[in-house]
Amino acid sequence: MFRLNLKIALRNLWRNRGITAINVGGLAIALAAFILVTMYFTYETSFDKSNPNYKNVYVVGVSYPEFKTNYIAAPFAKAIKQTYPEVESVGLIKEGSFELTIKNGKNTLFTKNILAVDYNAAKILNIQPENGLTKPSGEVERLNYLSKESMQTLFPDKKDNKPEMVGYGASNSGITVVVAGSIRSNEHSNFVFDGISLAAELGEHDNYDMNDYSIFLKLKPNVNVANLEKKITDLYRYELLKNNTSKKSTAELKAISTFLDPLSNLHLRPKAGNDMPYKTLIALSVLGFLILVIACINFTNLSIAQAANRAKEVGVKKVMGAYRSQLTLQFLTEIFIQCFVATILALILAELVLPYFNNLFQVGLSIWQVDSDLIWQLPLILSLITLIAGIYPAMVLSGFKPALVLKGNFSTSKQNSWLRNGLLVFQFCIAVVFIIGLLIINSQLKYMRSQDVGFNSSQVVYIKNLTLFNNPVKFGSVSFNPVRDRLLKIPGIKSATVASFIPGGQNGINSYEVNASKANIDFVNVDFDYFETLDIKLKEGRFFLNTFKTDTINSAIINESAVAKYSIKNPVGQTIRGCGIDYKIVGVIKDFKTQGFESIVQPTIYTIKDPCGSYKTQILLKIEENKMADALAALKAQWPQINPKDGEDFRYEFLDELYGKLFKKQEQLQSVFFAAALLTIFIAILGLFAFAKYITNGRIKEIAVRKILGASDVQIFKLINSSFFIMVLIANVISWPIAYILTKKWLETFAYRIDLPAMPFVSSALITILLTVITVSIQAKKAVKANPVDALKYE
Amino acid sequence: MIRIENLEKVYKTEEVETTALNGINLHVKEGEFVSIMGPSGCGKSTLLNVMGLLDKPESGSYKFIDTELLTLNDRERSNFRKRNMGFVFQNFNLIDELTVFENIELPLIYNKIPTAERKKLVNEIIERMNIVNRSGHFPQQLSGGQQQRVAVARALVTKPKLVLADEPTGNLDSSHGNEVMELLCELNETGTTIVMVTHSSHDASFSNRIINLKDGHVISEKINKSRNEELI
Ligand SMILES: Nc1ncnc2c1ncn2[C@@H]1O[C@H](COP(=O)(O)OP(=O)(O)OP(=O)(O)O)[C@@H](O)[C@H]1O
Ligand SMILES: [Mg+2]
Repeated sequence: MFRLNLKIALRNLWRNRGITAINVGGLAIALAAFILVTMYFTYETSFDKSNPNYKNVYVVGVSYPEFKTNYIAAPFAKAIKQTYPEVESVGLIKEGSFELTIKNGKNTLFTKNILAVDYNAAKILNIQPENGLTKPSGEVERLNYLSKESMQTLFPDKKDNKPEMVGYGASNSGITVVVAGSIRSNEHSNFVFDGISLAAELGEHDNYDMNDYSIFLKLKPNVNVANLEKKITDLYRYELLKNNTSKKSTAELKAISTFLDPLSNLHLRPKAGNDMPYKTLIALSVLGFLILVIACINFTNLSIAQAANRAKEVGVKKVMGAYRSQLTLQFLTEIFIQCFVATILALILAELVLPYFNNLFQVGLSIWQVDSDLIWQLPLILSLITLIAGIYPAMVLSGFKPALVLKGNFSTSKQNSWLRNGLLVFQFCIAVVFIIGLLIINSQLKYMRSQDVGFNSSQVVYIKNLTLFNNPVKFGSVSFNPVRDRLLKIPGIKSATVASFIPGGQNGINSYEVNASKANIDFVNVDFDYFETLDIKLKEGRFFLNTFKTDTINSAIINESAVAKYSIKNPVGQTIRGCGIDYKIVGVIKDFKTQGFESIVQPTIYTIKDPCGSYKTQILLKIEENKMADALAALKAQWPQINPKDGEDFRYEFLDELYGKLFKKQEQLQSVFFAAALLTIFIAILGLFAFAKYITNGRIKEIAVRKILGASDVQIFKLINSSFFIMVLIANVISWPIAYILTKKWLETFAYRIDLPAMPFVSSALITILLTVITVSIQAKKAVKANPVDALKYE
Repeated sequence: MIRIENLEKVYKTEEVETTALNGINLHVKEGEFVSIMGPSGCGKSTLLNVMGLLDKPESGSYKFIDTELLTLNDRERSNFRKRNMGFVFQNFNLIDELTVFENIELPLIYNKIPTAERKKLVNEIIERMNIVNRSGHFPQQLSGGQQQRVAVARALVTKPKLVLADEPTGNLDSSHGNEVMELLCELNETGTTIVMVTHSSHDASFSNRIINLKDGHVISEKINKSRNEELI
């Protein structure tokens, strides 16, 4: 029986090979997209899952009134461990705060992140050196490990895993360090590093004001986390009170609490951060699923449309005693086979697209992996689409009454038409929403590119630097003035400055007070010429100037948002207090968008002297455009003299490129939406094409009769197009409110955004209607051009 | 063999109710060849469909030998049908995607006959029907008469006790029609019971008994003497 059923199926598919190809091809494309999304989803949701402690690890975060953070003081780790027996172990980690140069002879390695971990943290987070995790003891304070790749760069010929000596910093620095071995950095983890600096204990001499570490807890199984969270908050407040170094009032302490964030949250939706990555991932998954649904709808629709062809077969088989269940199974099997072929094609397609996908999402996914989750996901997906696409047609087909279908004039065109039309409308709804979405994302991005961000990052070079500059000089730092003098001698360099943070990165946050109103605001420690280098606009007062002695003592410049935050009238000349200094406001600058378009410009204070601030290490140079190359060459040549600490390691980036990274996510979204909109409309049009072909084929006789009765070609085109035209129109009307709500929500994630434009709605209607009319007309043309006599004779 | 009593069938559509069968009583003996005649729309096809278990009547009784068939569920009806009945339709109803051989083979497959025996049975009947050199053809490649012979072959291959034929010659010219009628007669002579719907008194003359329907009633019944004499 299977053999004959297969023959019937194959011969049927072959007879309708055009439609079959469209169907299977469309499904394959959609499946490829879905497979990629599934892989990406699996990847993104399984960070650190290989850690055996995955389910029991939590980071201790602190919640301040204005923000949440995972940075906390090291001594608190000990306090937790000593107080709560349900905490099995407590570990500390600290990210490398600056880039390090490591040398072995001529081989140089620039590290971005050397992670400092204590022994417990290494155990909790499953950080394993190649030659095993050992606790540093005795003379050895730290055990340093470098990632395999880093090790390879420094010692290309190394085969064993013995310790090696390396130089830190410029070759003239004279610092040498022992590297104890190599360590595999797991890219699929929240903790990626170029190297590990393992200590028995960390932060022993820190106090409660130094929030430089992250504390990780490994809890015993079945601990009540909510309860523990509360207890830890109490402990934290108690400890802050006991060690009150920054003199916080009890009211202030009350406003501070701690929270426990599970390891599984860290990658996508850390409490101390935002859940945008998570939302994006969900949106992407929904997108992938919808594309698949559209392709399945094509299947369902065409299978039902073709039902008339199969009705006789069903009737005859039933007359011969076939059970309904046998027939249901037969049709499901047919659809399964097509889905199977589509899956194979989809895998090939996915493989072809994967490099672009990996590049876009900055991941390294691969399909052909033995331990890949796809091995169980694929059969599941296959069964799922077979059911979605097949169950309804199988039920309809197997339900035909033989007495009816064998009469000889059976037609399905009237039956189920509301369903077929409904499905078609649904497909177009999704396509329309995607098109509108794409157009609106485009408008917002265009706006962001054309909008004045309030400063000028072009021709600004950002130099990576190890030297700590401060003015006035404090321990361990040097003055920037001599460096600036040398820099300005290089032709083309218009201005030079140094700051603690650059636009596009995060600023620091500290508490400042104006007229007894206290608030945590952003701070940036700068040097002279900072505003000039970045071309920031002055609103009132003045910029910092060398000629004012007080500028290096207690002058401050604030932005418009800070003025608003403290509601200061006539700010210039007034006092803002922070870190024990009464700063005098000498100028107010216009707000500029350091954080891109998503977050509102934060109230910010700019100072030269700030004992509580951060070291100034970020050198910024404004260079004349046409002398850029020469200036950079000169900088590289002179760098060892200008800045001995970096020595020959002159490295720079263009600020506009750095700042541009803030737009990366949106551009990613744009690409994804572009692909999704293109795919949905393509697959929907494919389905429409096949559907129109089928419908017109079924109406050839009707069209012939109408032509004989005197209908013109245009009238017949109109006749065939009209129902499709109405369906697409309905789809547009249904999708508009949906698209309106979704895009409005998306736009609301931007602090600076366009007003929701009406044009995309009109455009999407025009696009879909035009495409529909073209598609249907191509099909209708055949029926219209046919000689009516032939059509009737054929019957 | 067949006892039908007080059979009623009503078609309900949105606007109208059509009483297609209105208290039919009908007995068919084993080995009989019965023709059903009557004006268009009188319920002939409906009656045949009910007899073939393709349609369910509203009320009445339908006994086949000693089994009451109207109380069977779907699966039992399917099973009964495939073991005991064969069908011939006016419009042949061959499956276009299958060859002649495969079309005839299909009912055997549903009866779970093993492959080797299936082959034998199909080849036998193909020979008997005189369509040997057509066995690899598809239905569209055959003439109407040939198609109907294939359809008859398909109805007979399972050796059913009862063959139901709804206007088997309706789409054929007289010479092809006669071929088919002769086939049915031959079959009847080997002991198969046949119930045939027809509009042609010529075709009806091949049968033992002619039943006349009107508006869902049996209005008259006529024993075909010439044919019965021939039998003796
Ligand atoms: N599926 C159906 N739905 C509604 N009414 C039906 C249906 N099938 C048949 N009828 C009605 O039942 C009555 C009997 O129909 P039937 O097909 O049995 O007639 P018939 O005697 O076979 O006619 P003909 O000689 O034209 O084939 C007719 O009035 C017909 O309109
Ligand atoms: Mg009839």
